[in-house]
Amino acid sequence: MFNLVQLLIKLSGFLLFVLLEAICFSLVVRYNGNQEKVYTNTVNQFTGWMQKKSASTYQYFQLYDENKRLAKENSKLLDRLANVGINVQNPLDTVWADTLQPKYSFLEAQVIRNSINQNHNYITLNKGSDDGVTAHSGVVSDDGVIGIVRKVSKNYSVAMSILHRQAIVNARVRHKNYFGPMTWKSDNIHIFNLENIPKDAPVTKGDTIETSGYSTMFPPGIALGVVDKLWMDPGSNFFTIEVRSFAKLSNLQHAYIVRNIFKDEQEQLEKSVITEDE
Amino acid sequence: MNSIILVNSLRFVGLLLLQGLVFKNIGVGWESFPYLHIIVFPLFILLLPLRTPKTLVILLAFLLGISVDFLYDTLGVHASAAVFTGFIRSLVLKMLEPRGAYNMSYSPTIARMGLGWFVQYVSILMFAHIFFYYSVEAFTFVYIADILLKTIVSFLASMVFIMIFQLLFNPLD
Repeated sequence: MFNLVQLLIKLSGFLLFVLLEAICFSLVVRYNGNQEKVYTNTVNQFTGWMQKKSASTYQYFQLYDENKRLAKENSKLLDRLANVGINVQNPLDTVWADTLQPKYSFLEAQVIRNSINQNHNYITLNKGSDDGVTAHSGVVSDDGVIGIVRKVSKNYSVAMSILHRQAIVNARVRHKNYFGPMTWKSDNIHIFNLENIPKDAPVTKGDTIETSGYSTMFPPGIALGVVDKLWMDPGSNFFTIEVRSFAKLSNLQHAYIVRNIFKDEQEQLEKSVITEDE
Repeated sequence: MNSIILVNSLRFVGLLLLQGLVFKNIGVGWESFPYLHIIVFPLFILLLPLRTPKTLVILLAFLLGISVDFLYDTLGVHASAAVFTGFIRSLVLKMLEPRGAYNMSYSPTIARMGLGWFVQYVSILMFAHIFFYYSVEAFTFVYIADILLKTIVSFLASMVFIMIFQLLFNPLD
């Protein structure tokens, strides 16, 4: 306390100076037209700047909700987009009631666990059987295919990432329709292999690779990547193609689980044919 | 003791009237853009006895400055410059302290401190005062070149008058 009083006495000159200058400046801007203009102009600029900053800060805090809202919106749009093609492909005069029904629906989910540095990588999503997720559903992000659901619990599902040595995505070359399985064999998380493309296929570097739609997991036409390198091994009838993928698996936040509404029907039919032949 | 208070009171009133009634009417420059003000009233602050407490110097400077402002109709502008001068007076005194310390019963005058010391002392404080005054007058440093030009011109003119007064009256305190 004594020290404080001593300090105040020591600083008394300075404090009085500051106080009197404050009084002087308030008088200056109050009673002098010229200085008042400068003052109000400066203050207006400053408050304008402050308001802009605070507004942008406030918006920043809203980003989480905004992101969630946008992800939901995206899943709705994806629903419509995936189904547009299917409905159009059917000629109008042979339309049945069933074909007008949507075939795919997208469920927005958040990635709560993800890995990219193993040989077998998995993605955990926060939607489960309660939300209608079933095993063997495809998982996509805004950039493309990211995995396939393996197991489902009540509220969670675990998907095998496309960075999994056993993951196979049925792919085709866009506009050229040559198809084959795309797998991950390299050590680079961006490089995938596309197989079974015959050597007479007019595939060139830079072609886009997309999902074929032949499997029940993914709707056709979801972009996967571009052809980065292709060559023919001696004695082989097939190209060896390296695909640089679009999917950014290292910073995933949102994902969409694809539900194929006619999946069971299609699979049962295919299975019945196979069992009949055996 | 009493004579010192009397002398300083007279100096207060005298410099106030001189500044407000005589030098206010002297301005060189264009009509609405005067480059030259002769400012002599801070001499009162400079000549206060060395033993005057810091706070009292600042308070008296404020009083004189605000009085000048009433005569100039520029409320606060001269006062802020005067308060600034009153505040830095002690710092400048410390800076210019002679080897054997001050005789605290003296006032900082030519008769007591010598011409060379006095010119240094007055130059530093007057320049600071006038620069501060023009800064507050413009209220922005956008026109810093203008402020500096006005400061230098006014400083030289004011110094001439201040030195004339000092040499004429040559006060002891």
